[in-house]
Amino acid sequence: MSRRYDSRTTIFSPEGRLYQVEYAMEAIGNAGSALGILAADGVVLVGEKKVTSKLLQSSRSAEKMYKIDSHLACAVAGIMSDANILINTARLHAQRYALSYQEAIPVEQLVQSLCDTKQGYTQFGGLRPFGVSFLFGGWDKKHGFQLYMSDPSGNYGGWKAAAVGANSQAAQSMLKQDYRDGMTREEAVALALKVLSKTMDSTSLTAEKLELAEVFLQPGTGEVQYQVCSPDAMGKLLAKAGLTQPAPDA
Amino acid sequence: MSIFEYNGSAVVAMVGKNCFAIASDRRLGVQLQTVATDFQRVFKIHGKLYLGLSGLATDAQTLYQRLVFKHKLYQLREERDMKPETFASLVSALLYEKRFGPYFCQPIIAGLGEDNEPFICTMDCIGAKELAKDFVVSGTASESLYGACESMYKPNMEPEELFETISQALLSSVDRDCLSGWGGYVLVVTPTEVQERVLKGRMD
Repeated sequence: MSRRYDSRTTIFSPEGRLYQVEYAMEAIGNAGSALGILAADGVVLVGEKKVTSKLLQSSRSAEKMYKIDSHLACAVAGIMSDANILINTARLHAQRYALSYQEAIPVEQLVQSLCDTKQGYTQFGGLRPFGVSFLFGGWDKKHGFQLYMSDPSGNYGGWKAAAVGANSQAAQSMLKQDYRDGMTREEAVALALKVLSKTMDSTSLTAEKLELAEVFLQPGTGEVQYQVCSPDAMGKLLAKAGLTQPAPDA
Repeated sequence: MSIFEYNGSAVVAMVGKNCFAIASDRRLGVQLQTVATDFQRVFKIHGKLYLGLSGLATDAQTLYQRLVFKHKLYQLREERDMKPETFASLVSALLYEKRFGPYFCQPIIAGLGEDNEPFICTMDCIGAKELAKDFVVSGTASESLYGACESMYKPNMEPEELFETISQALLSSVDRDCLSGWGGYVLVVTPTEVQERVLKGRMD
């Protein structure tokens, strides 16, 4: 019965729901998960890579993590092609701000502008919403380190720890139990790996299936740094957390 | 009076042995009056690529800001720094876009390429590239700079000797130009380090 209210993104159903937006969130629920944790000295973003075929030859350094500007990065869950469009928009927006004001864009402003774009696709144009949820991690002078989560509806919120993608509900409740204020980056990484190991579908956790990125202040210069963890370092972290298991023969 | 001579400027770059040096004067004037003696004309694009902009100061600043915009997006997309040759093409294209209402600047691009090969080039205000193997000059003191560089330059100089040569060439040339001077700023870039130095010359 409510099917007749599904196909147009721009109308409400009688129950006051936007079905297309909800279907978009369904699509994200099937995608590889991503976790973000706010630590006292940085933001940690961890992602689960869904496709790990040996035949895959990627030119990019990371599949789920994207740098938006020198002080801002994001993790992605959902339809990658939709994500690419939005990330490009975000990058342009950050640079236009820097060109006008000769200052780095504050994190919330960038998130808000991206969410305004996403909202547009739920209200006019007759186009479907973007099937992506983002976890933004960044630093600015006013609020220091921040973590934001945004979804296809264009809503966003600031979080201390958040999860998107597959099993995000389970991950979120685990994070709620174990998160402590004032965690260091190392503790946050360990927590993220622990939560992911419990919520990920695969039987073993190997470095190829995960991506880790951190946003922190460089100790010497105080500049904001975005660093993606190398596969070797990833392997060591997993071993340290006691989470490595022998990988099944591919 | 020409718009290119409104603020006064002198920029020069030289190639050495596996290194390059880029230098500029520090005067910012409004025609005959000196307004600043610490004006920056040489800008960093990335660790091994520098841009010197002579001519109208406001255009130099705006051009630099627009180029940073483009380079940052390039870095994000391609996950690497721009090669000097590519950057020179970018600057040239940007200038030609304003063919009939140009930026009143003459850029000098100096960088270390893929194998740390030094690369320098200059172009006019509408993007005509001029590659050189030895030195490039621009600004109100350019005629004196041409003469000084031609006589003082020799190929394959080490960083210290290159620094001495470019500093002498700069200071002696700006002394013959009333619109540039008030000290100098010299950057010598090798594959492993970048040395910045401020020169004290005739403060007039």
